[in-house]
Amino acid sequence: MDDIDAMFSAMLGEMDLLTQSLGEETVPPEALSNTKKEVNYSIGFTDLNESLHELEGNDLDALMADLMADLNATEEKLATEIECLKAPSASQPDFPPPPKGLSIEPAPSHISPSSAGSRSSNVSTPVPSAASSLAPPPPSGAKPTTEEIEAQMKADKIKLALEKLKEAKVKKLVVKVLMNDGSSKTLMVDERQNVREVLDNMFEKSHCDCNVNWSICETNPELQLERAFEDHENLVDPLSAWTRDSENKVLFQERPEKYEVFKNPQNFYLWKKDKTTLRDMKDKDKELLIQENFCGTSIIVPDLEGVLHLREDGKKSWKQRLFQLRASGIYYVPKGKTKSSRDLVCFVQFDNVNVYYGKDFKSKYKAPTDFCFVLKHPQIQKESQYIKYLCCDDIWTMNLWVTGIRIAKYGASLYENFKTAEIKASNSVWTNRSTPSSSNQSTPSPTVKAKSPNQANGHATKPQPGPISQNPAPPPPPPLAEVLPPPPPDPVLPPPPPPMAAKTASKPTPPKRNQPNNFPPPPLDMDNLPPPPPPPPTDDHLEAPPDFLPPPPPATGFNSLPPPPPSFGGVDHSLPPPPPDPVSLPPPPPDPVFVASGAPPPPPPPPPPPPAAPVATLRPAVRTSGSLKKVPPAPPKRTAPTQGGGGGGDFMSELMLAMRKKHADQ
Amino acid sequence: MAAWDLSVTVEDLGLDAPPVTISVASDLHIGGVILKLVEKTQIKQDWSDHALWWEQKQRWLLRTAWTLEKYGIHADAKLVFMPQHKPLRLGLPNGITLRLRVCFSNPVFQTVMGICRMLNIRHPEELSLLRPIEEKKKKKDKNLAPEIYDLTEVPLSSGTLSRPCLYNGMPAHFADSPEMEAIYKMLSVSQPPPAPEVIAKQYRPASVVDKAHINGRYVWLDSSRCLLQQGIQESDKLWLRFKYYATYDMDSKYDAVRLTQLYEQARWAILLEDIDCTEEEMMLFGALQYHISKVAQSEPQIMSNNPAMDDLDSALQSLEVKMEGEGSSASDLLENMTAPELTDYLKIFRPKRLTLKGYKQYWFKFQDTSISYFKSKEESIGEPIQMINLKGCEVAPDVNVAAQKFLIRLLIPAPEGMNEVYLRCENEQQYAQWMAGCRLGSKGKTLADSSFQSEIQSIRSFLAMQKTNSSSSSANASEESINTHSLVSPRYHKKYKPKQLTPRILDAYQNVAQLSLTDALMRFLQIWQALPDFGLAYVVVRFKGSRKDEVLGIAPNRLIRIDLSVGDVVKTWRYNNMKQWNVNWDIRQMAIEFEGNVNIAFSCVTADCKIVHEFIGGYIFMSTRSREKSETLNEELFHKLTGGHEAL
Repeated sequence: MDDIDAMFSAMLGEMDLLTQSLGEETVPPEALSNTKKEVNYSIGFTDLNESLHELEGNDLDALMADLMADLNATEEKLATEIECLKAPSASQPDFPPPPKGLSIEPAPSHISPSSAGSRSSNVSTPVPSAASSLAPPPPSGAKPTTEEIEAQMKADKIKLALEKLKEAKVKKLVVKVLMNDGSSKTLMVDERQNVREVLDNMFEKSHCDCNVNWSICETNPELQLERAFEDHENLVDPLSAWTRDSENKVLFQERPEKYEVFKNPQNFYLWKKDKTTLRDMKDKDKELLIQENFCGTSIIVPDLEGVLHLREDGKKSWKQRLFQLRASGIYYVPKGKTKSSRDLVCFVQFDNVNVYYGKDFKSKYKAPTDFCFVLKHPQIQKESQYIKYLCCDDIWTMNLWVTGIRIAKYGASLYENFKTAEIKASNSVWTNRSTPSSSNQSTPSPTVKAKSPNQANGHATKPQPGPISQNPAPPPPPPLAEVLPPPPPDPVLPPPPPPMAAKTASKPTPPKRNQPNNFPPPPLDMDNLPPPPPPPPTDDHLEAPPDFLPPPPPATGFNSLPPPPPSFGGVDHSLPPPPPDPVSLPPPPPDPVFVASGAPPPPPPPPPPPPAAPVATLRPAVRTSGSLKKVPPAPPKRTAPTQGGGGGGDFMSELMLAMRKKHADQ
Repeated sequence: MAAWDLSVTVEDLGLDAPPVTISVASDLHIGGVILKLVEKTQIKQDWSDHALWWEQKQRWLLRTAWTLEKYGIHADAKLVFMPQHKPLRLGLPNGITLRLRVCFSNPVFQTVMGICRMLNIRHPEELSLLRPIEEKKKKKDKNLAPEIYDLTEVPLSSGTLSRPCLYNGMPAHFADSPEMEAIYKMLSVSQPPPAPEVIAKQYRPASVVDKAHINGRYVWLDSSRCLLQQGIQESDKLWLRFKYYATYDMDSKYDAVRLTQLYEQARWAILLEDIDCTEEEMMLFGALQYHISKVAQSEPQIMSNNPAMDDLDSALQSLEVKMEGEGSSASDLLENMTAPELTDYLKIFRPKRLTLKGYKQYWFKFQDTSISYFKSKEESIGEPIQMINLKGCEVAPDVNVAAQKFLIRLLIPAPEGMNEVYLRCENEQQYAQWMAGCRLGSKGKTLADSSFQSEIQSIRSFLAMQKTNSSSSSANASEESINTHSLVSPRYHKKYKPKQLTPRILDAYQNVAQLSLTDALMRFLQIWQALPDFGLAYVVVRFKGSRKDEVLGIAPNRLIRIDLSVGDVVKTWRYNNMKQWNVNWDIRQMAIEFEGNVNIAFSCVTADCKIVHEFIGGYIFMSTRSREKSETLNEELFHKLTGGHEAL
């Protein structure tokens, strides 16, 4: 739930007010209950609804409702506004309350008052200011100055409004991402975001080691399929294809096969060679292979050819066929024909299909082996004759084919993605710990679990000696701590009390208002906040558990969570009590790996300054909101909140509100 | 020293003229011989390009400071005094034949460099000259004779490697006259598709062995020896071709001719089945050819490569964009956000519904990426009967112009599978619009997309194509009526009639219709390069210790041993594992050693082993090129790698 709040606040920087009224504290508990209740953590629409329900009574509902408000209303409002503005003599250009806008307006306004009430007047004030900041030309200026200036301001406002309007058209989804440890994170993803950005987001939230294997995956339990999204893919599109009652889930996982082709290209491009040659391949030869196949004028697809088992349409039998992979698609050799290209029959082309791994097809479809992959249109979610099922003799062949198909389908993007991922990983290594990432890369990537222990060990050794008494194997990598000592910890586990402080602090400092969506102000606040260290820790403890629901004892958990260290180091220094660690412990024993990722505690944000700042900002906002949550009477429930559309909230109306508010204040 | 008589044939006096005899001593240097010779002929002309050719020894006497003695020339030597540059008929990859002056005295490698400099082709090391061994006069000369374009007047530039200065995007010597400009255009713009008969007439290899024998039919000239040494005479015909498929540093800005010629070579390789591809790939190649020829006609200047103009263009463009951005008022923006619509009465049929003959008429509305339909126009304000989102769907045409059948077949993805829907249009116009809309919709674009109109256009032109094909009368009409048989290899001439081919090519065409000329050329080359057999030169060889002939495939990065009877790849060796290779010139055998103590040796059956040697050395040379060095060609290294014993 934290995440939800954070997301919202991030997205609606100007809507601080609203977000503030959301209660974070309340949220955590709910999350807990949520997890307990649900065996499956699915992201489907239903889930969203559920989570929303849980939030009922919170301002979140109001927020959602606002977001969902009909876009048309906004547009009309905007139109009227524009007209008004255009009228030269319009004395009150800024707030000609458009009829429709009004309807929307009430909700937000309510919220703000409520928040004020709960939090004291101080709180309320800051909010408006923040809102106003979004609208660059504050009304106050407009009034006094000449018409010219007014006109200019109007123009600016219109522009801004239009931008906002465009923004409002952007589709957003609230996505629940399942972590390896069984916990989950909730994110808001807008349709312009690609998977890379979402991954970065998850890195920030989970404090994993950011190695290149991390992937966002989709599972389809009904078809028993799963697939890792490519980093350049848009996330909203495929998720929109899910059905209403879908049990599909989104996972955040390490998938070693994701970029294996760039680590060991010989296994794919020279797969016919004997294993020892492949294993002993020199780095420079690997480099050359990548050059040849990915850096030329065209991307070369591995030369794959072999017998695969094909599931007959509608039948239960599997038939063997000789298949060949080409850049243009998969082909097979019809009976009695030669392998010559001209006789090949096209089996499938890749424009409209994605490749998925099949799970447990041996029992589901009586497949010869469990190493199956599937080609289907992303929108197909149920059994259909249009799904193509193929089965390989071993896992190695399966990975060969699936990777080959991805190369054929995505071409150069794949390599670009990898390079970007590598940079991210190395950055994080640089700031954090070097061991983990390197180990991951070097090891072909057995199982995730195996790795995690390794990492932990590595950390343990490296990390500084003494800081954390509780942790037997203190993971904290020194570097990070040194780099960004105080700030990181705070952002991640913003203690409830601090928020208050933050709020107050923010108020006093007016300059921040001007800063728009960048959240620059918050970071500052955060910095200020650090001083009150004592409270945070405790809070963290409280908070953390709820989010992850991991009842496990801190100490044990901690061992498993090596990753967080970096931030910890910093934390430790600043705050003697190593509270943060416990937080990270949450992850249940089963998937230690995830701990790192899942555990929010150690904020090892690779790019220290920027990322940390945003997070921090979000946090404070959330917190305040949490406190407020009780107050607000849940306006219009999220009637609309179908998760899918989710997001098309109208920022316009919010904007208008904010502006009006400002105006009124003045 | 005693003087003796040396007789020299002076070519400029005519072939029948008797040799000129001069009195020389053995210590006279070649320069002196030439001086005496010129004085004796009493002809005043520019003799600077002339040199002495020693016929018996098949060598040029180019070192003017060397004495006759040093060259070992005695009174019995037959010398010819002639120009080093002579005209040659040069067949280009695009089928055009040029007549131009080339160097007969330097190694072919340098001759090619000179040709490429004249034609403005960068990276001449990738090209070489082919000699067609058996040229059947009847077949070609009829057509080709009038098609020779004369470039012999082009002044010879010095041997430096510097790029020729460009004028209007072409080398200055092409800007001299309209005729020359026309020739340059022919070099830099792809040719219209050939008539199907032309394709059908050409030789097509039917198997790997046939391909291997091509290297016997057309012989690559030896790069380290000169033309005259290889028996090439003045006005002989040679082909200029890309030999090493290691295209390097292609930049459409500077490589108009190079790109076009490479495309032409690729196109012919596809059409003549020099390289195998699948039917789907062939259709895509066909679609690209169609698109390229269409665009090349309509925007011939796009390839102009004057950097200054480019800069100006881009500057203007960005300025335009800026102004657009600034100029857009709020209302404009709002307008842009409401997409245009398409509405009409159409008939729909859903095969799944088991309602046979079920074409029912409804009022259709196309909005954003969706089609909705209503009972009638009047009811279109309410809820539609159904709304179909086209995003991600498959669109296929089912059209027969003659029968006035205009169907759009849609495969709409749904969670349960794909739903098949047919839309029936009344006429071409309606069909073109809705088809274009569906195409855009399937890609997630709306009717507001800028490509909507051009999509309509291309659909209509394809319909026109089908019309002319079905009437089959006007074979040579405008470019709109390209016979689809011109776009695919003869195998498909037999398999499909033109009108059956049209929808298939159209189908592939929808994915490329929006490409610019350069992008389309690049796409064609990319798909070509991605074919599994790309870049393979085949030679029949006999491996040491083997008793049967096999085929050796020489690729840009590896050698492949192919079973001759089955065509299967038996073994692959990569150059980067190669430690050394040797040629035993006496027994004409190549021996190659790879890392890990792998040794192979073979003799060549269908080609001289110098050709194989040069291929391998050439590819290794190509891989040594790097960006910093690209401006200066390391000729010495090339010869070292490819020359064999002659070079040493």
